[in-house]
Amino acid sequence: MTGDGRRRAVRFPVIGWVGAAVVAVFTGLALAGPWLSRYRTTQLAGRPLEAPSTAHLLGTNGVGQDLATQFLHGARVSLFVALLAGGGTLLIGAVIGMVAGWAGGAVDAVLMRFVDLVMVIPRVPLLIVIAAYAGPGLVVLSLIIAFTSWPPTARIVRSQVLSLRRRAHIKAAIGFGGTPSQILRRHVLPEVGLILAAGLVGAAARAITFEAGLAFLGLGDPTRASWGGILRDAIGFGGIFYTDAWKWWLVPPVAALSLLLLGVTFIGVGLEQRINPRLARHTGLAKGWRT
Amino acid sequence: MSGGLVIGHLRVTYPGPPPVRAVDDLSLSVSAGECLGILGESGSGKSTLGRSVLGLAGEATIEGAIRLDDVDLTTLDEDGWRGVRWRRVAMAMQSASSLNPVLRVGLQLAEPQQVHLDRPRRAADARSVEVLEAVGLGEWALERYPRELSGGQRRLVLLALALVCDPELLVLDEPTSGLDPATRNRVLEVLGHLRGEGRAMVVMSHDADALEMLADRVAILYRGWLAEVGPAQPVLDRPRNPYSWALLNARPTLASVKDLRGIRGDPPNPTEIAPGCPFAGRCTQEIEACHDGRPPLVAPDGEDGERLVACVRGGVVPILVGRGLRKSYPVRGALGRKDRLTAVDGVSLEVLEGEVVGLVGASGAGKSTLASMLVRLLDPDEGTVELEGRDLLAATGADLKAARRRLQLLFQDPFEALSQRLTVAQAVREPLELQGLGDAEDRDRRVRAMLRAARLPADDDFLARHTHELSGGQLQRVALARALVLEPKLLVADEPVSMLDPSEQAKVLQLLKQLQVERGMAMVLVSHDLAAVLRVADRVLVMAGGRVVEEGTGSELLMNPRHPATRALLAAAGRDLLFEIAQSATG
Repeated sequence: MTGDGRRRAVRFPVIGWVGAAVVAVFTGLALAGPWLSRYRTTQLAGRPLEAPSTAHLLGTNGVGQDLATQFLHGARVSLFVALLAGGGTLLIGAVIGMVAGWAGGAVDAVLMRFVDLVMVIPRVPLLIVIAAYAGPGLVVLSLIIAFTSWPPTARIVRSQVLSLRRRAHIKAAIGFGGTPSQILRRHVLPEVGLILAAGLVGAAARAITFEAGLAFLGLGDPTRASWGGILRDAIGFGGIFYTDAWKWWLVPPVAALSLLLLGVTFIGVGLEQRINPRLARHTGLAKGWRT
Repeated sequence: MSGGLVIGHLRVTYPGPPPVRAVDDLSLSVSAGECLGILGESGSGKSTLGRSVLGLAGEATIEGAIRLDDVDLTTLDEDGWRGVRWRRVAMAMQSASSLNPVLRVGLQLAEPQQVHLDRPRRAADARSVEVLEAVGLGEWALERYPRELSGGQRRLVLLALALVCDPELLVLDEPTSGLDPATRNRVLEVLGHLRGEGRAMVVMSHDADALEMLADRVAILYRGWLAEVGPAQPVLDRPRNPYSWALLNARPTLASVKDLRGIRGDPPNPTEIAPGCPFAGRCTQEIEACHDGRPPLVAPDGEDGERLVACVRGGVVPILVGRGLRKSYPVRGALGRKDRLTAVDGVSLEVLEGEVVGLVGASGAGKSTLASMLVRLLDPDEGTVELEGRDLLAATGADLKAARRRLQLLFQDPFEALSQRLTVAQAVREPLELQGLGDAEDRDRRVRAMLRAARLPADDDFLARHTHELSGGQLQRVALARALVLEPKLLVADEPVSMLDPSEQAKVLQLLKQLQVERGMAMVLVSHDLAAVLRVADRVLVMAGGRVVEEGTGSELLMNPRHPATRALLAAAGRDLLFEIAQSATG
């Protein structure tokens, strides 16, 4: 055998790359936002319901704020929430899953019951209640999503660790005198890395949806420009469908939300194919992304 | 006849440059009627010792005492020796070239009698015939020239020559070496008869079997130094000094199927005089204290003191001791009842330093469970495991980490044992990294050296390969290199070759044995293949139903299997077929 085809594993599929490209474009827009627009989000930059022009690329809304500026800021909000919630999910899921799987026994039993407990918490009502009482901070929102999204990841990681620790190469590493943290880092983490990435993507998609949803319901910060907020303003503007304004006010955030979610989901599908397909079927990763 | 030979603190040094110390502070005694066997490899100083006793050591300086009864042999001049040699001490040389090729045997036998006993020729010839008959030759030999005799016959003539003046002390230098088995047995038979005649005998040999038949006591010599001395049977059967153990372990017997392996390392350079134990460099259980002075000859623990052993550690020590090991697993019984399956049921075993213990049994006999418990990858329900005298099961943290460096497991399936994500270099380097040994450069050097030792390429291309690009044999070698890179003192190999094809099996087993000998490590070889284990193991434990049902050396099990499980394994290895052929050939 030669050095070609180093790994037998499936390569990251095209659909995943498409998703990654879409997310990359939005990320680029979000990062470059402050330099792309001349206005602040709340600034009354022009006349109300101005059509798109060189001065206002996406026109203005009912009170004359620049929609392009709001749109770019909305991308920042969505991606920030996605990143924080996804990262939190990954971290909590990985730690709890690995500790439960490795320690076994009572620790495992306690942690898994905790997983069951968290899993039955109804996420949407909880979010609405907390958003209504505690205020609409993005960090709080992201953390709540992370805290309610990690159980599937933890379960999958735990089951992986359980099967891994019976494998001879892990036993060999124990035999060489490796400490649990060394072995988890060297052998377990790389093996569950893709699963963690899938968990991150799932939580990110969920976070984007929730943030937009809450803002649309009016539970978001009314002064913060986000895609959900733009939607809410547009729908709430009485005569929007009697004018052409819906074309530049309503359509862009809807399209952007759909496209970003599609991109994230494509990455998820790519990851799912990259992970052993059997595994993905077992664990119902695909299901997890919808809620 | 009276007395005997007493040697005290004898040192024999051949002048240099550089001087060679051939006999090193040796004390021994042989009483009348006793046969002392001196066992040692070539170069151990046996012949020098023999020559010193006869005053034939030439220019060598002799210090210490050699007394024959009342005579101090070290102070004798040539005149003094004339009264002692032949009459009181005679030596049968190893080489038949000490016979004069141009003189008839009769004349050569008569000469010492005429010179030393003033015996007339006729009386001398009568005595010669008597002695020739005693050694199994006859009157006919008197008229022969040495060249007309066979090698064995010449050897018997030399023996007759030594006996002809009826000495008190007979020294035999390698009486059986170089003889064919039939002649050897005849010589041994003759020597056996001589033993009963009340004469003191010293037999120097590297043939342990010969000594087993002849000697009352055996002394084991290494580099002119006395490693062990005591009654023949216990010393030869259960040697306690690490050198005697290694030497006797390397000897072949007729029924042994074990591959022959010498003692690791090279025979020592005779010009160097070691400050500590002379065997230290080659010993498998060397410790710091071995280099501080010569170990004294003392009686080992638990013995009556007839045997004396020179070893700092009091003789061969066990590296791993398992006692009363028991492990059971929960299983689902009939009708969903919960039950426990006892995989290992009260097993005790001991592995000596440098020893290869074979663990054989059918599948499900509990071998692998036991192996996992011995390396603490599995905790037993009951029982203890001691590694180098410390409780392995109680070790934690740094102690456990250090213990793991001394103790390694080689897994059955190298595909499983080597993570597919890793390259060869990463896999072999892993133990060093986990143990935090050396820097990057040092690790790389060790990895390459270890791969070469495992007969694998050590170039960059091979180091960068992934496990699925290698053949099964290569993969198991990589796994072996990885297990040995920490230089463990004990390797537990769990069915190391069962996944390989027969040719690779042979190569990997040979490699395993070779590395075991070179590195002086002990090994537990787990296998269901008794034929393979017998080739490698010094001692074999047979397991059945979670218990050790039989234990013995390979030849003992092969010749006289007692337990049905052993017989079944032997039958599977083709023993019955072999013995039937042997029986039909003889009967």
